[in-house]
Amino acid sequence: MGDAVFVRRGVYHDSVTLMRAGAGLPGAEVAVVAMATQLNLGLARDLGFDVPAADPGDLLVALRGDDVAGAAEELDRRLTERAPPGRESEQPPRTTRSAARSPADLVLVSVPGEHAFAEALDAVEAGLPVMIFSDGVPVEQERLLKERADERGVLVMGPDCGTAVIGGVGLGFANVLRPGPVGVVAASGTGAQQVTCLLDLAGVGVSHVLGVGGRDLSAEIGGRSTVRALRMLDDDPATELIVLISKPPSPEVAAAVREVAGALRTPVVTAVLGGDADLTSAAEEALRALGVPVPDWPSWTALGDVADSSGDGIGDGTGGGRALVGVYSGGTLCAEAAAVAGRGEFTDYGDDVYTRARAHPMIDPTLRLEALRKVPPDAVVLMDVVLGHGADPDPAAALAPAIAASPATVVVALVGTEGDPQGLRRQAETLRAAGAAVFASNARAARFAATTASRPPSPAPDSGPGAPGVAAPALGAPGAARLDPGPGIPGAAAHGSGSGPGSGSAPGGVWPGSVTEVS
Amino acid sequence: MVLDGPPRVITVGAEPLAEALREQAADTVTVAWRPPMAGTAEALGRVLADPRRRAANELAVRRMTGARPYLAGVRRASELLRLPRGMFLHAGPPITWRRASGPLRGALIGAMLLERYAPDERAAEQALASGDVLLEPCHGHGAVGPMAGVVSPSMWLFEVRDDEHGGVAYCSLNEGLGKVLRYGAYGPEVLERLRWMDTVLGPVLSAAVELAGPIDLRAMIAQALQMGDELHNRNRAATSLLLRELAPAVVDAAPANASDVLRFIAGNDHFFLNAAMAAAKVSTDAARDVPGSSLVVAMARNGTDFGVQVSGLGSRWFTGPAGVPDGLFLGAYGPGDANPDIGDSTITETSGLGGFAMAAAPAIVRFVGGEVADAVAATRSMYEITLAEHPAYQIPALGFRGTPVGIDVALVARTGLLPVVNTGIAGRVAGTGQVGAGLVSPPAEAFTSALAALAG
Amino acid sequence: MTVGTHAGRARVHVTGAASAAVRPVLEAPRRPARVLAAFAAGIYLEVRTDLEPSVIAVITGGASRLPNSVLLSAPLPHVTVGDDAHVGDGSVELGRLSLRARRWWDPAPPLGPVDPARLAAVTLPPPPAGPALAGHPAVDLLAVSCASGRLVGAVTAAEQLVGLGPGLTPSGDDVLAGLLVTLRHLGAATGAGQAVKLAGWLAAAVTYDARTRTTPISATLLHCAARGQAGPEVVAVLRALAGRQALEPALRRLHALGHTSGADLAQGIAIGLDAVLSLGGRR
Repeated sequence: MGDAVFVRRGVYHDSVTLMRAGAGLPGAEVAVVAMATQLNLGLARDLGFDVPAADPGDLLVALRGDDVAGAAEELDRRLTERAPPGRESEQPPRTTRSAARSPADLVLVSVPGEHAFAEALDAVEAGLPVMIFSDGVPVEQERLLKERADERGVLVMGPDCGTAVIGGVGLGFANVLRPGPVGVVAASGTGAQQVTCLLDLAGVGVSHVLGVGGRDLSAEIGGRSTVRALRMLDDDPATELIVLISKPPSPEVAAAVREVAGALRTPVVTAVLGGDADLTSAAEEALRALGVPVPDWPSWTALGDVADSSGDGIGDGTGGGRALVGVYSGGTLCAEAAAVAGRGEFTDYGDDVYTRARAHPMIDPTLRLEALRKVPPDAVVLMDVVLGHGADPDPAAALAPAIAASPATVVVALVGTEGDPQGLRRQAETLRAAGAAVFASNARAARFAATTASRPPSPAPDSGPGAPGVAAPALGAPGAARLDPGPGIPGAAAHGSGSGPGSGSAPGGVWPGSVTEVS
Repeated sequence: MVLDGPPRVITVGAEPLAEALREQAADTVTVAWRPPMAGTAEALGRVLADPRRRAANELAVRRMTGARPYLAGVRRASELLRLPRGMFLHAGPPITWRRASGPLRGALIGAMLLERYAPDERAAEQALASGDVLLEPCHGHGAVGPMAGVVSPSMWLFEVRDDEHGGVAYCSLNEGLGKVLRYGAYGPEVLERLRWMDTVLGPVLSAAVELAGPIDLRAMIAQALQMGDELHNRNRAATSLLLRELAPAVVDAAPANASDVLRFIAGNDHFFLNAAMAAAKVSTDAARDVPGSSLVVAMARNGTDFGVQVSGLGSRWFTGPAGVPDGLFLGAYGPGDANPDIGDSTITETSGLGGFAMAAAPAIVRFVGGEVADAVAATRSMYEITLAEHPAYQIPALGFRGTPVGIDVALVARTGLLPVVNTGIAGRVAGTGQVGAGLVSPPAEAFTSALAALAG
Repeated sequence: MTVGTHAGRARVHVTGAASAAVRPVLEAPRRPARVLAAFAAGIYLEVRTDLEPSVIAVITGGASRLPNSVLLSAPLPHVTVGDDAHVGDGSVELGRLSLRARRWWDPAPPLGPVDPARLAAVTLPPPPAGPALAGHPAVDLLAVSCASGRLVGAVTAAEQLVGLGPGLTPSGDDVLAGLLVTLRHLGAATGAGQAVKLAGWLAAAVTYDARTRTTPISATLLHCAARGQAGPEVVAVLRALAGRQALEPALRRLHALGHTSGADLAQGIAIGLDAVLSLGGRR
């Protein structure tokens, strides 16, 4: 057993690349492979490593195990293998400004939030629309970017914009959608994913999904991107119907956006998150507007009793039934499920507080698996699984054993399409076979979970493998909030995120600069 | 219009997002991004947010690249500059005798002897150490000087005028290689040569330039770049071009001294360097004092400090310790003999020449310790930190692409790429002279402290 | 990784993008296919299916994004004409490659409403190298019949043109493809219902026995054109006619296609434009 610590000067990799490269290194039991930020240096020190001085621009590698030399070699191999392709003779551009010298249509920025402004501004100054996937961009920088973008007539999507689809090209966390007549403007990435996936399941395609970022409709930003995105879709001949997925806007912004939307030639269906309409009903309204029949949203369940997911029989609110625990990765989906269920304890593991030290739960299931292990045996667990580009290549593979091992009843909202790399049906079947009830609609999943939870536990699945008397799950942690079962005002229950402008429910904290990976 | 088809996407940041796009067979360009220089994030945010920046930088760099330097005359420093008795100019940011390095001290001693301010070396040193002699940077007087860059009243200067913006800049005449004042040598042969330059070379050149009329240095530099010069460490083509232009006038002006003068110029491949420096200075000066601009208008070293000046920050110097150059050494000299970086000649890099134009000068790639590909890579990397491509100075090997010009301190901080500087290497000990030539890396803090000042 | 048809060699899984036109064939149960032609930037596969497009172009790099194509993010495999392949169950298996689509594009993007007056003001400059069938009586008949809405003449001319000319996509087919796509899109965009109706009749006539009358590749492209599906070069010219982008560069890119394909398609577009205007009462 030995330690090896070294600092590679000026070697930069993004945190997901480092996470992947540092995971399961043979010969190492503990591995810190991260950029040498104060946070990461401190973490290595806490693990007992003797850490030299280093800059945030350096790569820190700290290994402990019985073959650290072998592990270091393997790490190097993985990191060089992952180097982006490119002709060796060509020097890649070092800034967006430099890259924009060659013809391009769009810039996708996902550098750590504190550095995103520079790259995004380069894009705007080059007259290119930009999607800022990064979160943690100060609001005054967002406002400035959007003001400049208005001068140049370009769209700024984000910051904290997790999802966009442009001309079929999925950016960030996006699904493989068929081309079609619906254009989406969304303040929430997972919200857009839910709506577009349901439309795809109904055979209706999407022209574009333009994200605007969770703060766009706040008074400070004034809905600049929302307005521009609406006008762009109105001008787009492929778009016949616009779905606007909005966060609760500030009143004056709401009025301005309403006015713009009302003046468009293209009809607009609006869903305000946290209001009384859920995402599924927004998708259904869009279908009706196009004259397309609303299908029975698919579900896959071994539990039999799916018929009753309409919400009838959700609670009398007495809480006399089983515990309902929401274990979510998408803030908007979490908020929606909590609002629909009307009771329960919901945690958004995609919230900044959980992603600061690791990758987003859409990529890294660790936290949610842990949470699943800790729920009371008679609980009903409600969770989301989001498919598509950028997400875990096979989320069911990690979740299914945990679901099978859990004495709790697990209900899954599976957001995805058949065209997704993971394959909707394949994922659904795996989860179902593990004992989960799987729904393509989050709202339906939430109703089903609430109904199930309001009844006494069925005897069969209860004889779990000696489930320890686990107390309450790790709540009280930041990002979690208890829902008052009493008044049941939909959407009124606060969450880690997704409950208002500025709270950033797009899958934002995905790859923050200060990410630390420990394997 | 972005919605009209599958977009070509520039990706910057998390590699998996770029990978996902490539898996969709989408056209992508991936930025090899890395975090900015340590501690600059906040200042960068503020500088980039400055509403004046974009237009200010465009204006500044347009002035820099639009300058039309002409060699207008050759005259004595005492005529051109306000140089009171007891004051010398020197290269780089301000410095005192106490902090001055060997070559600068040597050159100052030589100047004391040349001007007969002191009878001998000891007396000269004492006068200099006592603080009775005033030292001021060339840059503050519209001048530049190579290596030690010492200018004293009896020295003759190139006078270069900017036909576009009306500026003027000066640079001393090049003494040649070996034991020369600019490298800190002050022996009898050095002083003898300087006196000959004062009595013969200066007056003859002055008369010749008058006869020949103003000489278009911009055109000459553009031509020399296409003939394998980068105008800092290689000036052979440019010197030849200048000689060709001046020779008839030299003969006409001073038939008696013509052969001596022409032989002197022909024997010194770097004779043009000083004219190039004055041309660079008058161009970079045109870009000065644009409020909000983050453009570097001077890089200079005094043998102890490396300093930069920025357009939006007036005449303030931002400094860091001068590095010791690395490269090829003459004879038995080695890295241990090298003095830290010295000279105003980095004005060439500041104006898009020198190290920035390395790709134009494959003949001297050995100075950067490498292959032609390294020279091309050096120039290419400078496009990352510059605001423009020079409209007249072009590099044949890069498809006549303009040289990278207009260093932006914000881009330096963002990319962590420091300007590539070609340089001669002076001996550490006063009086030694040149020991080699090569490459040097400027101190990052000169740029980051300028950035911090811009951030206010 | 699964072991593929080449004994002992692992399949390489690659991804890319595909025209939405090929989705039904790609998602149908797996069918055998064979390599019909192989070029540096494209491989044509003939799929044993009744669905259209029955020929799928697997392309890479700068190859034209035909409406029946699947675009690879990786280099094409080395295959020769006659090699076996499989298409269906979501993937194309070709040589060592197993290819799946991660993106779909619309080969028939709508133009949106277009003011016929605007369209009437446009003149289509002739291609630098003339279309192969310029002055051919069948083409002239086609043009005159379309412009006057005479169905019999149009169908007669079309039947003479299917398969007329040498090459993978005979010139006659290219003219018809350009015409069909233009009638559909510009007709719909200007509200010239008669033009759209004409497109429907012509499409039925042309596709009825195309598989036996012309090359399989050309037959597939005619089927696509019958549904208004085209490559981006044709779409761009229509978009330019609709005033959504510059006409001249779009035309230049169209004319650059193939030996005469681009010029032939342009000729079809010109006939279609004329017909749309006169059937809409503008010319």
